[in-house]
Amino acid sequence: MPVVNKHSERMRKFKNKGKDTAALRKQRVEVTIELRKAKKDEQILKRRSISFSLMDKSLSPGEDKRNETVQLSLEKIAEAVNGSNTELQLQATQATRRILSRQKDPPINQIIELGIIPRLVEFLTRADNAPLQFEAAWALTNIASGTSDHTKAVVEAGAIPAFISLLSSPHMHISEQSVWALGNIAGDGPLYRDALISCSAIPPLLALVSPVTPVGFLRNITWTLSNLCRNKNPYPPLNAMKKMLPVLICLMKHEDKDIISDSCWAVSYLTDGSNDRIQIVVDTGILPRLVELMASPELIIMTPALRAIGNVVTGTDEQTQAAINAGVLAVLPCLLRHAKPSIQKEAAWTLSNIAAGPAQQIQQLISCGLLPPLVELLDKGDFKAQKEAVWAVANFMTGGTEEQVVELVRSGVLKPLLNLLLAKDSKTVLIILDTISNLFLTADKLGETERLCLLVEELDGLEKIEALQTHDNNMVYRAALNIIEKYFSGEENPDLQPETGEDGLYDFSVEKQDFNF
Amino acid sequence: MELSDANLQTLTEYLKKTLDPDPAIRRPAEKFLESVEGSQNYPLLLLTLLEKSQENVIKVCASVTFKNYIKRNWRIVEDEPNKICESDRIAIKANIVPLMLSSPEQIQKQLSDAISIIGREDFPQKWPDLLTEMVNRFQSGDFHVINGVLRTAHSLFKRYRHEFKSNELWTEIKLVLDAFALPLTNLFKATIELCSTHANDASALKVLFSSLILIAKLFYSLNFQDLPEFFEDNMETWMTNFHSLLTLDNKLLQTDDEEEAGLLELLKSQICDNAALYAQKYDEEFQPYLPRFVTAIWNLLVTTGQEVKYDLLVSNAIQFLASVCERPHYKHLFEDQNTLTSICEKVIVPNMEFRAADEEAFEDNSEEYIRRDLEGSDIDTRRRAACDLVRGLCKFFEGPVTGIFSGYVNSMLQEYAKNPSVNWKHKDAAIYLVTSLASKAQTQKHGITQANELVNLTEFFVNHIQPDLKSASVNEFPVLKADGIKYIMIFRNQVPKEQLLISIPLLINHLQAESIVVHTYAAHALERLFTMRGTNNTTLITAAEMAPFVEVLLTNLFKALTLPGSAENEYIMKAIMRSFSLLQESIIPYIPSVITQLTQKLLAVSKNPSKPHFNHYMFESICLSIRITCKANPDAVGSFEEALFMVFTEILQNDVQEFIPYVFQVMSLLLEMHKNEIPSSYMALFPHLLQPVLWERTGNIPPLVRLLQAYLERGANTIASAAADKIPGLLGVFQKLIASKANDHQGFYLLNSIIEHMPPESVDQYRKQIFILLFQRLQNSKTTKFIKSFLVFINLYCIKYGALALQEIFDSIQPKMFGMVLEKIIIPEIQKVSGQVEKKICAVGITKILTECPPMMDTEYTKLWTPLLQALIGLFELPEDDTIPDEEHFIDIEDTPGYQTAFSQLAFAGKKEHDPVGQMVNNPRIHLAQSLHKLSTACPGRVPSMLSTSLNAEALQYLQGYLQAASVTLL
Repeated sequence: MPVVNKHSERMRKFKNKGKDTAALRKQRVEVTIELRKAKKDEQILKRRSISFSLMDKSLSPGEDKRNETVQLSLEKIAEAVNGSNTELQLQATQATRRILSRQKDPPINQIIELGIIPRLVEFLTRADNAPLQFEAAWALTNIASGTSDHTKAVVEAGAIPAFISLLSSPHMHISEQSVWALGNIAGDGPLYRDALISCSAIPPLLALVSPVTPVGFLRNITWTLSNLCRNKNPYPPLNAMKKMLPVLICLMKHEDKDIISDSCWAVSYLTDGSNDRIQIVVDTGILPRLVELMASPELIIMTPALRAIGNVVTGTDEQTQAAINAGVLAVLPCLLRHAKPSIQKEAAWTLSNIAAGPAQQIQQLISCGLLPPLVELLDKGDFKAQKEAVWAVANFMTGGTEEQVVELVRSGVLKPLLNLLLAKDSKTVLIILDTISNLFLTADKLGETERLCLLVEELDGLEKIEALQTHDNNMVYRAALNIIEKYFSGEENPDLQPETGEDGLYDFSVEKQDFNF
Repeated sequence: MELSDANLQTLTEYLKKTLDPDPAIRRPAEKFLESVEGSQNYPLLLLTLLEKSQENVIKVCASVTFKNYIKRNWRIVEDEPNKICESDRIAIKANIVPLMLSSPEQIQKQLSDAISIIGREDFPQKWPDLLTEMVNRFQSGDFHVINGVLRTAHSLFKRYRHEFKSNELWTEIKLVLDAFALPLTNLFKATIELCSTHANDASALKVLFSSLILIAKLFYSLNFQDLPEFFEDNMETWMTNFHSLLTLDNKLLQTDDEEEAGLLELLKSQICDNAALYAQKYDEEFQPYLPRFVTAIWNLLVTTGQEVKYDLLVSNAIQFLASVCERPHYKHLFEDQNTLTSICEKVIVPNMEFRAADEEAFEDNSEEYIRRDLEGSDIDTRRRAACDLVRGLCKFFEGPVTGIFSGYVNSMLQEYAKNPSVNWKHKDAAIYLVTSLASKAQTQKHGITQANELVNLTEFFVNHIQPDLKSASVNEFPVLKADGIKYIMIFRNQVPKEQLLISIPLLINHLQAESIVVHTYAAHALERLFTMRGTNNTTLITAAEMAPFVEVLLTNLFKALTLPGSAENEYIMKAIMRSFSLLQESIIPYIPSVITQLTQKLLAVSKNPSKPHFNHYMFESICLSIRITCKANPDAVGSFEEALFMVFTEILQNDVQEFIPYVFQVMSLLLEMHKNEIPSSYMALFPHLLQPVLWERTGNIPPLVRLLQAYLERGANTIASAAADKIPGLLGVFQKLIASKANDHQGFYLLNSIIEHMPPESVDQYRKQIFILLFQRLQNSKTTKFIKSFLVFINLYCIKYGALALQEIFDSIQPKMFGMVLEKIIIPEIQKVSGQVEKKICAVGITKILTECPPMMDTEYTKLWTPLLQALIGLFELPEDDTIPDEEHFIDIEDTPGYQTAFSQLAFAGKKEHDPVGQMVNNPRIHLAQSLHKLSTACPGRVPSMLSTSLNAEALQYLQGYLQAASVTLL
């Protein structure tokens, strides 16, 4: 869902407060436009196989030089590959693989331009020559690890069915290399992912998972599976998802942290979608394990587990309740206080979606002690996390009962919230202003308007709101003006009123409420 | 229009005429230009002129005209014709950039504005080559051209700072970044290099620094929405250079001007903003650079002078430190005792000092000074920034900071003590320091509400504030006096009451000070003290405690109004009002003198009312005088009338619009004080009050209605007998008001008073018309507000004239009308009525319809009996229905004809809530039960059967409760 829709959608719900709290939930946003650097904590889409010392003894100090010489004879490579001498074919393929495996700037384009890819794909079918199959598979893996165009070159040469049939190769290292290559192809995007799925890559892949599969191999399989779960527009087919899930759930219970991490990533992708997809995951009963993993000290596990749970609570109230029942609220305080900004942010996002739920879920949020860390985060968190915390407060104020809102105010939320009116982000400022307006509505009902006015002023909120009346963004300036006019203008009248009580003489009101000037 | 010399000539002539001071020549020329601006080639002719005209004035005029033309016409509004033809649009876009860049600065600015207006609509989709065109000029090496490009880019990109994130916006930014970020970075580096090669060339430096300022601004815009990948990768380049620019100084760039910030200051200010942006939003990535910036900015502060031109830079720089020092992970940058001391000593203290500019404002521009100092409109001042830094540092280091400053405060006080007349500014700084250190939270209403516990405020007050205020001369060291008074004002909730009581005579004494700031503060402080609450919700300071000071207080307050510059001082007038309100009957002995002075003041200011607050408090004070005096002695009302009527007449005759609504309110108050028949003086005025001209002004309507209501309450019989010919005029006012959706409720107020007070026979002949009028409104343009008022009115009518009379008059207008109103209006809408009294009127009225209206029992109306009863029980028991149909939200705005003097309601002229039902019915539920009982006695058996057939169970249960409470049973 594009960002703009998300926000306007959310704002709309915001105004019609309480009418449709489910829609307050924010789906994870797949930003179509990104200004930032790609996130460092995302899972890797494609991987190149750089060193494989077991198989290749040539990583000695002289290696680089040898590569140089091989590189000089690219033409020779082409010649040998295209020739019919099997020995030369193997040497040339190995040379190609070496060039592509070097640490820096592998010349993928040049190799593609040599036009040898169809040949390499052909070598994959040489069941009689395992070393050649392996070298070709490796070389192709590394080509497919490049840009989309690189991957495309491999796929268009017909590598997909060839690799899929190699999954069942009697040689484990060949089958493992194929898993890897398929992972790179799947990681390219939804198109190739679905091409793999429709070529029935999943059953032989899943068949490789067994109690005796070595850990290293299992890591590769898990990673490839995760790429088969990855990407939206469209989502992976439902039946593929249903096939993979039981195995992924098993893998998530493994003790190897990379396997756990990648299986969590896979589940996080599967939950990043419509509620019926979330439901399929919820139905497997995996949420308690995910919550347990959210508390893992390993960042590579905590990150995807948190994402998966964060996605689940974007779902229905029942799905959110399932996450709450699995204990998410007990783990969140720690994550909200995590040293890493991206974890803070993700945890706050999760919290904001739980706060968008019905009053009884908000109540659980209060009784599990989430308010103090929320206030702390709002006060001192990283800016990205603060923004999410603002949403959490906004949702809380919209969906909470009067008592719950009072509780939130008592927990000291106002000061940091008002401080964030200085945030250099118009949207955040607007949400805060709307939240304050909502708070005033509650205060009106409780007859506490005057106290809230004083509180806002005391916390230096008034001067900030006043200053926003000159903000360049029209919506921000109007929201600020609105609050000032409604609650802070005519300082005199509320001022004059209190002194009237003494003898009843000044007891006056009937006209007041009807004059609408 | 063709692109011909003849047309150029014509256009030149008309442009020239638009500059003519004589409107007779100017206006037609402007009209002409407007009339031809739709023609093809018109904008191109303007561009030709601004480029090629022989006369500079025509060039400039053409450029301004062109920009305004673009502003008005470029945007293509949906469903409206395209106002600029496509070929002109293309030609403009093709030529404007080079034209802008080759023009002299004056014209360049206009064209640059025009480009950004066009860019806002067309960029990037419809103007794809704009960026490349601009970026290419960076290589020109001509900084006149480069600055033109940068300025244009700035006006195109600055909206990134305030717009919401959206795909569209981010697509544009990405496009801009791809084309612009690298060339901008290269330009930045090249410009900095040129600055060192031209370090000795003042005029070159000026141009280069102008570029750097624009580059720094562009950096801010481009980095605002999120941290772009490019800038993250190039952070080292940008931040290292920004950092070194912060520390740079060059004599050639220093300006002599003390007020206006120079290029160096502007650049450094923008760099502080850039650093603050990164610190706030991209902390994770910026962390490695931040400590360097903290140090650089702090050094900058230490070395920057006191001149006004540095104010923005200094306050930006301090705010940066204030925002950083509050973050837990930067705490370590500040926690060293030496660092803290140095910040306190070299950054905070110097910026708290009272400067020459402050002194000037204190003396010559006191109004502005007071506004800034008292009302806190000081957000950008140095003192304010320094205060914020103190509060920021106190978050983690309250103890050490308080300790450091205590030492400072003591030494500054010692300096002062050595030679007060020379060193008084040291004491000022000491007081300011204590204030900023002690105050943690503050409101206008209560002053400081949370204080630093490490500061002993009372001790400081007794030892250092009171002595100044006790000194014999109220005019010595006025700044210190103002400081002292302000101290009382803001710490009034921290200082014990006995100290406040000691201060009161001192404050009263300072009302005589010559300095405007000092006597204004004294008045304001007294006013604030008088509003403080004690236990039991009474005032903290009682009238009894004030007894010894009443005379001197009143004398000094009124005397202060005669001091130069304070003739219309709103703080003093507010203090007068507040004193009256507090002192109550103890002011009575002084009323004759007080009212004379107020009347004279009123007369004087009515010549040219200019201070709305002052005027408002003046009228409030008049109302209080009347109320307090007449409460003790009702006959005194005559003497007030004697004193005031002359001035009032003058105000009415001279049509002083600002005051007329007030005059009506005071007159209402006076009239209501009369216990007997209405005096003839009022009757003489009556016809004038019905003058349409008065009712045309929105601001007059509420107070005039109020006044007419007072007339009806006190003089309905007199009007009926002596002014019967004015009744149609009175009803005319009602008709006028009822016609307006905004004022109809006022019309009903008037109508209700007429029905309640006028002898029935005097309005007999008009009754039918009244209803017809109301029905018309109901039919043509009913609103919720109208229906609510209408329901109250018909029920009041029913109470006054009886249910049968109501049914008869309805049905006489149109057969079955009564049933229709019951069915379509009363039953479905009664739940909307709001207000205690209004609901009571409706309850009693409906009870009458149910129980005292025979047609309800024996005609076809009978079928409405139970639904009506059910609606009545709903009115008693259900929550009010406050829904308003969507289309009604904007009625008030639409129907208020333009801006007029707003009605300013006087709190102390307020009238008591009036309950026309009064004691007649105490409990409407019991009343219903009793009335039903009476009805059932008259026709046994019928009521229970009607109840049992169609009243719903819940309502029946409530009803049984009423019957039980009234101890009656239905027969």
